[in-house]
Amino acid sequence: MLDLLALLIVDGLADAALIFFVAVGLTLVFSVLRILNVAHGSFYSIGAYVAVSIGMWVVSAGWHPYLTFPALFLSAALVAVALGPFIERYFLRWTYGKSEALQILVTFALFLVFEDLQKLVFGVQAHYEDTPLQLLGVSDIGGIFYLNYQFLLIAMAAVTVILLRLLIRRTMIGKFIVAVVADREIAQTMGINTTRVFVIAFTVGVFLAALGGALASPTSGVAPGLGAEALVLAFAVAAIGGLGQIEGAALAAVIVGLSRAAAIHFAPDFEAVVPYLVMLVVLLIRPYGLFGTVQARRI
Amino acid sequence: MKDIVRTALGGLLLACAATTVSADDRPSELRIGVFTFLSGPAAAYGMPGRNAAELLIEQINEAGGIDGVPIVPTYVDEAQGTDGVITEFRRLASDRDVMIAALSSANCLALAPVADQLRVPTLMWNCDTHQMFLEDEYEYVYRTNSSTIPEFVSYALYLLETKPDLERVAIINPDYAFGHDAAEIFKETLQTFRPEVEIVAELYPRLGASSYHTEISRLVSARPDVVFSNLWGADLENFVRQAQPRGLFQRSTVVLALGETILQRLGEDLPEGTVVGVLGDGWWQSPTARENPDTQAFVEAYHERYDEYPVFPSFKMANSIMAMKESFERALENSGGTWPSREEFVEAVAGLEMENFTGTLRIREDNDGLVDQIVGVATPADDRPYPVIGEMVRYPADLVTPPVDEDPIAWIRSLDQDFLDQLPKPGSYQ
Repeated sequence: MLDLLALLIVDGLADAALIFFVAVGLTLVFSVLRILNVAHGSFYSIGAYVAVSIGMWVVSAGWHPYLTFPALFLSAALVAVALGPFIERYFLRWTYGKSEALQILVTFALFLVFEDLQKLVFGVQAHYEDTPLQLLGVSDIGGIFYLNYQFLLIAMAAVTVILLRLLIRRTMIGKFIVAVVADREIAQTMGINTTRVFVIAFTVGVFLAALGGALASPTSGVAPGLGAEALVLAFAVAAIGGLGQIEGAALAAVIVGLSRAAAIHFAPDFEAVVPYLVMLVVLLIRPYGLFGTVQARRI
Repeated sequence: MKDIVRTALGGLLLACAATTVSADDRPSELRIGVFTFLSGPAAAYGMPGRNAAELLIEQINEAGGIDGVPIVPTYVDEAQGTDGVITEFRRLASDRDVMIAALSSANCLALAPVADQLRVPTLMWNCDTHQMFLEDEYEYVYRTNSSTIPEFVSYALYLLETKPDLERVAIINPDYAFGHDAAEIFKETLQTFRPEVEIVAELYPRLGASSYHTEISRLVSARPDVVFSNLWGADLENFVRQAQPRGLFQRSTVVLALGETILQRLGEDLPEGTVVGVLGDGWWQSPTARENPDTQAFVEAYHERYDEYPVFPSFKMANSIMAMKESFERALENSGGTWPSREEFVEAVAGLEMENFTGTLRIREDNDGLVDQIVGVATPADDRPYPVIGEMVRYPADLVTPPVDEDPIAWIRSLDQDFLDQLPKPGSYQ
């Protein structure tokens, strides 16, 4: 029984870690920009494509294989710097304050464009670069081998939660973000450059999504369709945690990860619907999600 | 005035006669629709089919086309979903002479009645589902491929010979008809001969899932003797890449029904001894394929152009296009050289029996194709950096396919020791 419990926890947390990265970026962007960014899934898959490409280049160039680890972070940073400010400035900024339907349509259009661009650049076949996974080896837990890379992912997710919390609570830009989230107009009146805050928050969101894709790529590879898969689950997790809630996204990812693991072990027929069943139950009880709060509507 | 009218009428008659002659002439081109997955995770299976179509059609056209008529293909991406595929089929139907459609069984089931309604000859190049001709009869629809019954019965038969003491079986298949049908056929066949076989885990991950780690934990913890899977495309590659370092292949015999498609891509990462096959006879290094110079010429041309060797979906497609060509030639012969109508073409497909790149195809009276089944195990090759298929058996199509009008599952349950005794043995196909 203890062995089975250990399996469930390890499987659930490893799954949760991957879901967390994409969900937390989505929720951060929503909390600051008030935009439900459908293109977020594309940043996840682009991060994966760039990570695989750089990883393959590092290996083929004969560089030290451990350089494939920093390459994962470098890929996410490149994607964030290249796309974050550009998308925010030229595609999102003019939609602020406009209807949510328009914002969703714009980001959906971006998603479709990115999907086709990825096929154009990377082709339609799956790509793999699993050097980081091979370097770390495996561990035996309860008679079952786990990839040590899976534990690295869990640790990375935990570190990301802490770093994001420190960023929001302990840094000046974090305080600006909190002020903008609390009241955009008053923050602007007090001299906060909200345009800059939006660009930074959006770029951090893109970085987190791209990092999720980059970190997932050694185990799952990358093929067209990866972004859509990540996005749907990220929406569910963000809704469960409460849109805009970083800690909520972390807790929701753990709940969904553990629920999926339990379903696969005990009731495999329900594996596909479990995240959405959890979402349904949570939203029935707490319509704003686990960490969400009721907000007064301003007229 | 009378002369003018007479001359005008004469001219008109001559023009009509000329038109009639022109209708008997060859068309300037034979336009066909080719449906396959060109994007998404399924493209790993669909693109080799498309590539084979492109290459073979070019070769046929260079050799003069079909009786002088060049083939002009239009490729349709099935990744757009069944509704989009039907819309494309309807759009193309008005001016395409033949459809080579489709890859997905779901799309095939949806397209078959449309093809009959629009009277478009349709050769189903992949479409494994055994539901295809089980209850419905079609006039314009033929399958130039085998169905799920012979394909998955064959894997169970191979295991009954090579692992006669197996007791615990786990299954991981994609969560749609292809995966569920295959599981039922595989289980029924095993349990018909060994009722004590226990299914210790049965998992159906979503098609296109990228992570299988929890499923792998479940499979390993169930301690099966055999793990059976008909995952395919990028899903299959993901599963193997994730399961191999976690020891699944070392603890159980793993059967990958579509495993040949990843031999070249995975290389040494696919463990020796994994049971693999080709859902039909389309293995480019089978003895039959090696003995056929046309096949080897096609293989080399494919390798030269696409930098990889053709996998079995390539041969399903190529053999289907060969069947189309052969049917046109038969129809031309039947009509005395007049270009055949759609009806004359489908008449020629009915009862077709021909040699192709990898063996033989016979179209039987229910419009289904009869194709032999090759199964073997991944074996290291001396001359290649990836495994080949060793310990092969080639099950004759007639033996492993249920008779027309017989319920396939009832047929499987009726199999007995006499049936097993008739079968060739693993390793016999060399």
